[in-house]
Amino acid sequence: MIAKAPSPSTRAARLRANRRRIALVAVLVVALVLPFIPPFTGEDYRRWLVGAAFIAAQAVAFDFTAGYINIVNFGFAAFVGLGGYTSGLLAVELGVPPVIGMVVGGFVSGLVGLLTGALTLRLRGIYAAVMAWFVGLALMGIVRNVPELTRGSLGLAVPSLLDSPQNLPYYYVILAMLVVTFGVLTWVVRSRFGLAFRAIGQNLAAAKASGINPTRYLVINFVLSCAFAGWLGGFYAHYYGILTPDVMLTSHTVEVLAIAYIGGRGSLWGAAVVAFPLSIGVEYVKVQFSTLPGVHLVLYGLLLILVMIYRPGGVAGIVQGVDAWIARRRSPAEGASPAA
Amino acid sequence: MTTATTNLRPAPFLRRYLTFTWLTLAIAAAIMVFEAFANPSLVVNTLVTGGMWALMAAGLAMVFGVMNIPNFAHGELFLLGSFTAFTVFSPIQEALFEDPSLTWLKVVGPIPGMVASLVIGAIAGVLLEVVLFRPLRRRSREQWVMNTFLLTAGVSVVAINSYRLVVGNDYHGVPGYWTLPPVDVFGVPISVDRLMVLMIAIVTIGLFALFLQRTRLGRAIRAVSQDETGAQMAGIDLNRVFVLTMGISCALAALAGASLLFLFPAYPDVGLQPLYTAWFVVILAGLGNVPGAVVGAFIVALLQNLTIFYVGVGWVDVLPTVFIMLILLFKPSGLFGSAVKGVWEQ
Amino acid sequence: MSATVPKGRLLDVENVEAGYELLQVLWDVSLHVDEGEFVALLGPNGAGKTTTLRTIAGFLKPLDGGISFRGRAIAGAPAHAVSRMGIGYVSESLNLFPAMSVGENLQVGANAVRDKAQIASTLELVFQLFPRLLERRDQLAGTLSGGERKMLAIGRGLMGSPSLLLVDEPSLGLAPMATVATFEALKALRARGVTILLVEQNVNTTLRLVDRAYVLEQGRIVLEGTGEQLLRNPHVQSAYLGI
Repeated sequence: MIAKAPSPSTRAARLRANRRRIALVAVLVVALVLPFIPPFTGEDYRRWLVGAAFIAAQAVAFDFTAGYINIVNFGFAAFVGLGGYTSGLLAVELGVPPVIGMVVGGFVSGLVGLLTGALTLRLRGIYAAVMAWFVGLALMGIVRNVPELTRGSLGLAVPSLLDSPQNLPYYYVILAMLVVTFGVLTWVVRSRFGLAFRAIGQNLAAAKASGINPTRYLVINFVLSCAFAGWLGGFYAHYYGILTPDVMLTSHTVEVLAIAYIGGRGSLWGAAVVAFPLSIGVEYVKVQFSTLPGVHLVLYGLLLILVMIYRPGGVAGIVQGVDAWIARRRSPAEGASPAA
Repeated sequence: MTTATTNLRPAPFLRRYLTFTWLTLAIAAAIMVFEAFANPSLVVNTLVTGGMWALMAAGLAMVFGVMNIPNFAHGELFLLGSFTAFTVFSPIQEALFEDPSLTWLKVVGPIPGMVASLVIGAIAGVLLEVVLFRPLRRRSREQWVMNTFLLTAGVSVVAINSYRLVVGNDYHGVPGYWTLPPVDVFGVPISVDRLMVLMIAIVTIGLFALFLQRTRLGRAIRAVSQDETGAQMAGIDLNRVFVLTMGISCALAALAGASLLFLFPAYPDVGLQPLYTAWFVVILAGLGNVPGAVVGAFIVALLQNLTIFYVGVGWVDVLPTVFIMLILLFKPSGLFGSAVKGVWEQ
Repeated sequence: MSATVPKGRLLDVENVEAGYELLQVLWDVSLHVDEGEFVALLGPNGAGKTTTLRTIAGFLKPLDGGISFRGRAIAGAPAHAVSRMGIGYVSESLNLFPAMSVGENLQVGANAVRDKAQIASTLELVFQLFPRLLERRDQLAGTLSGGERKMLAIGRGLMGSPSLLLVDEPSLGLAPMATVATFEALKALRARGVTILLVEQNVNTTLRLVDRAYVLEQGRIVLEGTGEQLLRNPHVQSAYLGI
């Protein structure tokens, strides 16, 4: 691990933080104007952009748990689907407006997350991951088994979020949702909660010793992540207009997980930024090799394997490495090894 | 740094959780006896699938106990085994179809496919260890459990979709292995396939237990699971034990896939349910607890078959999960709860 | 290389520097053990005694310097290979297999030995040294008392028929009676010609027992001599014996 040497000047650190903020704003500006740059002016490509922003937002919510408290929510897709079905069913059965339904979907996913988390997060990390997966599979089983309500695998037709048939307004909606997800979770991470999360994620025993009640923080984190997953699932429902139980498949969790880890665990921004080129690239491959189903998943899987073995810090880790290298070159004293 | 002491011995395992184990077993036995009169086929199905889940779960538990790897690609070894058996058995089946008088081939015909799946499974396991886990281990053992979990998740996705690309989405199954008339057991006709699969499970588990208990290599495997440092002090090469462990575990999973080919045809996602079930068993029995996994496998198989019979096949993922959640509610450390609390990451 | 090794030299540690991430513990440590010798490594807590043993046993790669055993360089060799070459290691935390019986622990100790007759005779030796282990043969190691656990660890270390036994703080956490028994066992081993490198904090007892000793302070060897010499050394007397 990179042990942070005490910085000789907080000014340098502030400058670096500023630089990061500027970079993020620049990325956001690019994301805003992207639909007007060819080839993204076409509807098909704009649909890819919507998909990219959607998976980016999911990856941020996923990384909030995986990267900070070190719990892999393997049932993540099911929580997304649960939010989607909640919002969709509210709209279909009771005529609730999608905007409200999406928020309720977030609440419901958060609630199920609370139940799951309260029961499993006391246990070892791997138990929690597998139990979340079981809960996800069970949720999918329930959705499949009540076709009177969910139409099962025939699919539930859901009213659209917007009147427009165009992708552009949806893109800005999901981009806004991505910014909100990122903003809120970054804010939480920067608060005293974030410190506790990191402490627990890195060393449970030490965190306990320093008076942190780990389970409480773990559950708070897990519930927040699930709630955002549900909210985003609502968008999915009202964007595509059709919901099948397959939205909850574990392979969708793996897609999100792959992007989160390739982006860099525990960075939030890494996941958000990497999602765009990666998911667009994968969509491109999918179209090019439309006769080969699943080739995009092979790519995700291979990338995940390579990252896990050779670059566990992901893209964010690489950027941090470059950052540190630049800092070292500017002031040799700062990067000096503490052993010397 | 203390390694979780995992327990590969039946005796202390039974002793330590005596009441809970016996209570569970007694309930399971009572249900079995009751069902044996009401629905003999349910009992047969429980024993047949339970035996194969035991092969899956025992391997999964051993790999976790010895290498601290939660193998999420275990189901794909099941797929590999079933497809290998299909490939080997198909021409034999055709030969039998053309000349039904080959009685000897009827009896031994399915065996080459199972042996082949054992061998291919073992090779795949060794490759996984050498190509993936060893480089990762050499680089860093930090957050090892989570990292290998994700690594194997990646392997699973790659394996399933590569299979889909190469072989396709079709079902490759066989109507049956042994085309012989059913055997009468206590007045209940049981297909030879089921009987043979049960035999295979019993013999394999028996040999596996003997191997772990009585041989030098088996003891080395158990030693590594209990104390890696101590094992190294005794001159045990961890890398060799890891290769052996992965090889055996994956061979067992592949054998399970091959044996159940007549119930589960080979197709890309066929490994999901066995994987899910094996994980279910392992969580129930306690991670790394091999004998617990064998016992747990039959209990879970009973639970699944009861669900299928009385509620419906669609609920087989739902009700057992509710069951395990209830157990966790009352007994947070799992059914046979080994040292779960307090141990976080190795 | 073997040409320069004095006759009877078993272990040679030369100018070894070792440590952990960001923290060097050993600085230019040199020591040697001859065939049949009983040598102790003494020093206060945190001086680097355990690190020295771990480095010799192959659990820690030296940053610099060389270690040779019977004239063969072993620095950087993996721990299991070092064990197979004939260096037994009894660690401070013992590293027993708690869910295995006493007998099984000993059997695993002989993992690298293929000769069945040799295993049987070593087993007999271990049971002679520690009759308690014979009594508890079928008991799980995890259920033994502290003293019995030490015995088992030493016994397991012996099962590989090592030519050199590294023993780390056998008296740690033991009742006085058990400590005496453990030292008696080491004495008996020495009488049988087993070469021992012992790490201890119990300076007085140790110096009366061993042939030679080194004193390690803050990662450096500061004194070397026979047991008697060191017992009379003013620094040892004031720092360790409270005289």
